[in-house]
Amino acid sequence: MSAPFYPEGTVRALLATDLVTEATRTALAARLDAPLYEPQFFDGVTYELLRAVAARLFPQPDRETPIELAHAIDERLLKGESDGWRYEALPPDREAYRLGLGGINESAQLLFQHPFLSLSPEQQDAVLAAVQRAEAPGTTWETLPAQLFFEELLAELTENYYSHPIAQEEIGYVGMADVPGWHHLGLNNLDPREPESN
Amino acid sequence: MPDEEVLEEGVLNPVKPEIQDPLLREIIDENQSKPAASRDPLEQAALLPEVEETVDCVVIGTGAGGAPLLARLAMAGLKVVALEAGGWHDPTKDFATDEKAQAFLFWNDERLSAGKDPVAFGRNNSGTGVGGSTLHYTAYTPRAQDDDFHLHRDFGAGVDWPFGYNELEPYYEELEHFLGISGPENYPWGKARKRSYPLAPLPLNGAAQLMQRGCAELGIRTSPAANAALSARYYQEGVGWREACTNRGFCQAGCNNGAKASMDVTFLPLAAAHGADIRPNSYVTEIERNSSGHVTGVVYTQNGIQQRIKCRNLFLCAGAIETPRLLLLNELALTSGQVGRNFMAHTGIQVWGTFAEDIRPYKGIPGSLISEDTHRPKDADFAGGYLLQSIGVMPVTFASQAARARGLWGQAGRDYMRDYNHIAGINILGDCLPHADNFLELAEEKDARGVAKPRVHFTAQPNEQRITAHAEKVMRQIWEAAGATDIWAFPRYAHTIGTARMGLSGDDAVVDANGRAFDVPNLYICDNSVFPSALAVNPALTIMAVSLRTADKFLEKERRRDQ
Repeated sequence: MSAPFYPEGTVRALLATDLVTEATRTALAARLDAPLYEPQFFDGVTYELLRAVAARLFPQPDRETPIELAHAIDERLLKGESDGWRYEALPPDREAYRLGLGGINESAQLLFQHPFLSLSPEQQDAVLAAVQRAEAPGTTWETLPAQLFFEELLAELTENYYSHPIAQEEIGYVGMADVPGWHHLGLNNLDPREPESN
Repeated sequence: MPDEEVLEEGVLNPVKPEIQDPLLREIIDENQSKPAASRDPLEQAALLPEVEETVDCVVIGTGAGGAPLLARLAMAGLKVVALEAGGWHDPTKDFATDEKAQAFLFWNDERLSAGKDPVAFGRNNSGTGVGGSTLHYTAYTPRAQDDDFHLHRDFGAGVDWPFGYNELEPYYEELEHFLGISGPENYPWGKARKRSYPLAPLPLNGAAQLMQRGCAELGIRTSPAANAALSARYYQEGVGWREACTNRGFCQAGCNNGAKASMDVTFLPLAAAHGADIRPNSYVTEIERNSSGHVTGVVYTQNGIQQRIKCRNLFLCAGAIETPRLLLLNELALTSGQVGRNFMAHTGIQVWGTFAEDIRPYKGIPGSLISEDTHRPKDADFAGGYLLQSIGVMPVTFASQAARARGLWGQAGRDYMRDYNHIAGINILGDCLPHADNFLELAEEKDARGVAKPRVHFTAQPNEQRITAHAEKVMRQIWEAAGATDIWAFPRYAHTIGTARMGLSGDDAVVDANGRAFDVPNLYICDNSVFPSALAVNPALTIMAVSLRTADKFLEKERRRDQ
């Protein structure tokens, strides 16, 4: 069974209707129409490295303007916000990101003799896969547990990606349009406003 | 206790605040080095915050542990004040149907997760705001069964509760009717109930229908679950009409129409109607006591301003992390040596599968089907047991878990999530035994408020591993029988339990059977930290039942004293 594709434009159209509450619309519209962002926590080069990593973990060749995933991390680290817990084996988030991104570059150098940003997409994937498996070379990973860092990085990027209305549209999620409630529950039972896959 | 700072005569304060902000520290150092204080009346040092009148009871925390007893005490005519660290929301206006926007419902001060199976907090296991974690609980409200309270009697493992099911039964019944719990006409497991649920069960969603199908194949009995969400409009004493659930599926990120029985739409308005004073944004930093060891009052910060309140009795209901943390920070009720120990988390492994059918996991009450056939499985190689629940899931929560557990990324990650509408899950809620390696302690590291972070150690022991393995096998069979492909498991641990347990003796427990601290006569603790064992059941209903019982036992004692 191949994964379904849903029609484009459903979520954007729903957001313009009164099927969505004001609070929900405010939250989603802010992401949909996010202004251009200048990094404030990371320096420019590190921020570009984070964006390049995000582009491999969430490649978006199908989009003219990819969903931006790095800026929410930069904002969060700037404000010092937490999601309530941390693996004790990892240093505090700001340090973990600085060290971990440095480690990705270090591994890129050791594996392919170039910084991560200069590698081909296939080489970049190889570096990231090595970090995920805790097999990447480099002294960084002697102090920073590679697997845990990768898990945290992937989880945060994933949450940023699927919080975006366009990514929610991609997976056929329209739970935000809940003002009338859902009347058709159970298997293969759709409310009229739920998009069908093709 | 050495090095105690004497705030005022007779009041001891062992908490030594540490100034975190370097700028503030500089200013303080500078001020301290000044030779003479100004005589200008406008430049005199601020006094300690003024003490208000003494109240009968201060309750710290407004979740399932604090809210029911707050209402009970207020209804008995006592002067009661509740201090809640989080804000007071208007769900109809403030709650978005968006997981990220709702992150303010979670306790986001960082906790450190240690051990071989570090437990996640934040959205998994914590809450803040008027209503506490009930603002985002799944509203699953099965009763515990009688044998849940007697694991030691039956298996020689863990410890027994100082009382059993019969003691809580009247409270379960009262709660089901007060909260408006929706449930089946005849619940197949446990002791026969005296009154049926007040409302019919909520409709089964896609995941529930699939679990029903798979279980039927295997001969496992299922039932619509008991949920603290209204299947019909319900008139509630002291509160008014609450509207029926609209199948929004967003319980775990906040109900926006009052259909879910969180404390802010049930016990707290009832308490307020009887004169309880509920103070939001009030973060407790110190618990004061006198030289005879009685609690005399509480210091808290409200909207950046330090406040003090005097009380005759203190009820600590801050949950199984913040409650022991406050006790440890204040060096209070520590003589048993059990504060922070016996940390338990329910075995909560989930099994996910992909189906041909259209499921739409965001619709309907997330846990609409249950089975307790695995409460004491015949082929068990472990103490205790578990229950099975179908699970609906919001997209960001699901994607995040899948990323952590499966490690899928790149095109493979996006392709898997495009199946979101065809994915359904089952999970368990199972026992966990106390173990010396699993405990909470204060870390050196401070959180954003400048308070020592809690470090929670958790390593699943053989009993938890065996329950998890048994359950994974059963759930995989159910999903295969229901027609799933691409089945995978996500081992996890849910709820925080046991860090200030109740018992018969102050040698091995922090509070007695009535919730009163053995070594502090006017300190009561009521939340999941007092649970001596985990119970193979979602904890909220039992926490509320224990809360009402704690209030009744306290009031009985007060009445005896009056006579």
